[in-house]
Amino acid sequence: MLRMTQTSTVLSLFFLFLHTTFGESGCTSADGDGTFGDDEPDNFDINCFSQLEFKGSYSSLTCNFTELSPHNTNYTLSLCTKEDSNNVCFNMEKQEDAYFLQFVDILSKKAICMDSETKRRVCRSLVVTDIVKPEVPFNINITYQKEANEYLIHYSTPHSLKKYLQDKLIHQIAYRQEEGTWKTIESPFLQVKLLGKKLGNDASYEVKVRSQPNGDFFKGTWSQWSASKTFRTAREQDSTESYSNVVLVIFSVLGFMLSIVMIVLIGTFWENRIKPAVWPNLSDHKKTVEQLCKKPKNNFDISFNPESFGYVHIHKVDGIRAKAELENFLQLSTAPEKNLPEKFKNESDLKMIPVMADKSNTDLSVTYGGIWPAEALHKLVGTSQFPVIEANCSSMPKGLKSFLILRDTQILFCHWDVAMFDVACWRRIAVPRQHSTFSTSTQHHGNLQTEET
Amino acid sequence: NPAFFRSIFRTLPLLLVLSPVSSSNCTMGNRTTEIRVKYENILSHDIDELVNMSAEYRDRCCKNKNHENSKMFFCNDTQEIESLQSMACNMLRFFHRQKISKDFRWKAALVSCGTLQVLRCKCERHKKEK
Repeated sequence: MLRMTQTSTVLSLFFLFLHTTFGESGCTSADGDGTFGDDEPDNFDINCFSQLEFKGSYSSLTCNFTELSPHNTNYTLSLCTKEDSNNVCFNMEKQEDAYFLQFVDILSKKAICMDSETKRRVCRSLVVTDIVKPEVPFNINITYQKEANEYLIHYSTPHSLKKYLQDKLIHQIAYRQEEGTWKTIESPFLQVKLLGKKLGNDASYEVKVRSQPNGDFFKGTWSQWSASKTFRTAREQDSTESYSNVVLVIFSVLGFMLSIVMIVLIGTFWENRIKPAVWPNLSDHKKTVEQLCKKPKNNFDISFNPESFGYVHIHKVDGIRAKAELENFLQLSTAPEKNLPEKFKNESDLKMIPVMADKSNTDLSVTYGGIWPAEALHKLVGTSQFPVIEANCSSMPKGLKSFLILRDTQILFCHWDVAMFDVACWRRIAVPRQHSTFSTSTQHHGNLQTEET
Repeated sequence: NPAFFRSIFRTLPLLLVLSPVSSSNCTMGNRTTEIRVKYENILSHDIDELVNMSAEYRDRCCKNKNHENSKMFFCNDTQEIESLQSMACNMLRFFHRQKISKDFRWKAALVSCGTLQVLRCKCERHKKEK
């Protein structure tokens, strides 16, 4: 019993030791701390960088020796990955002065190991995501923005279409003026602006760009410089040109405001002032007569035929007294008895029946012939106050013109002897025919023609 | 007999040592930040790419309507790491056997291996696709 107990104790302790040593810790290295190969310090000088997604899903590792081996010994570089307690190593391909290898896994912990004929294998740990070298930017474009006097520099990077380094880069833009010193600016974006006032006028500039991981997760080195692009800055605007631009703007604004004011004024005064002055209303005689004339009474004779005025009292006046009577006529006062001028007496056989004017009646009560003074005619007729209608009567003797004068509500029928410069007018008096006792006389000379009824 | 119980007691650690490891073989520890950072910067992009490629093979894996397949990719609460390990290992085994395009199998294997690498897990009894 005691032997069994001792044996079981030994076995349990033994297996417990085995479980500890061969457990999931995966300690298979000789030094027991998880490192590869000999834990020597970095005594081989190599410089490596990785390029993510350089071809599809493959990433690459490129290494080169910083110092050549004095004995020109052949070295072999390999990239090792620990898998399932085993180290899986892949030899790097030698390309001229560098060693190259492409792989997929960028998450696992790796090591770069160097093998040589004379030395033991030496390894150094390596984190692929900490030695990233981005690809070169390309397609640099410079656009001048005249209004802001700025130069927009835009460029592209292959990582914009890839997975890992998209928006994880910082870009450095370098520019200089014609073999001058380089000036740099950095930006996480794919475009930057250069102020025109900080650049020379009408000068040639050179621009180039490179990229680097921003350091949040991916770290590494600068990419190679892109191809340079040159551009020429604009010439500075002359002060006079800028001044003329300001003046032009001011005049444009003033002209616009003036046009607005003119439009408002024209719209305001169009009906009252502008239109009557430009297109005055011409008087229409017929319409004017219609407006002035009252509707004729029944049995109101309107005829240009002198014979129709046969029943009208005809009064001849003395030519000497014509002027005074005219004045009375114009003043609408009682007309005195008129006598015909001498020449008419000799040539006519007239009998006059004086008709007394009705003072209460402002209408004309007498007619008179004789020379019609110009001013009187003008006073009577006026410019357009009393319309004068000239009539052509076939029964009238030649050289005799007849016309109607409208004054107030009276129609005067007048004869004008052109040759004799004599005018005689009649006014119809509302006297019953059976009571009319007037005599008429006929004057063949052309002035008057009266009839005795 | 007191000697009998002492012998059993001493045998017990042996039994515990020799018993198969049924729990996850992932390396535990407070690595939440490291796992999250690696997922956000690398693994998430590969998973997105795999999802886009899987759109071409929609329902092809579920022709037989075998619901057992869905159990391979089920995530248990409070056992996220174990669930992810299980999914990654199952995906390796599952797509290795199906007649699916090489590019898709390659991408699936990449995601599986990346997941196991981030979690520092291994698949039991099966070798990962190299």
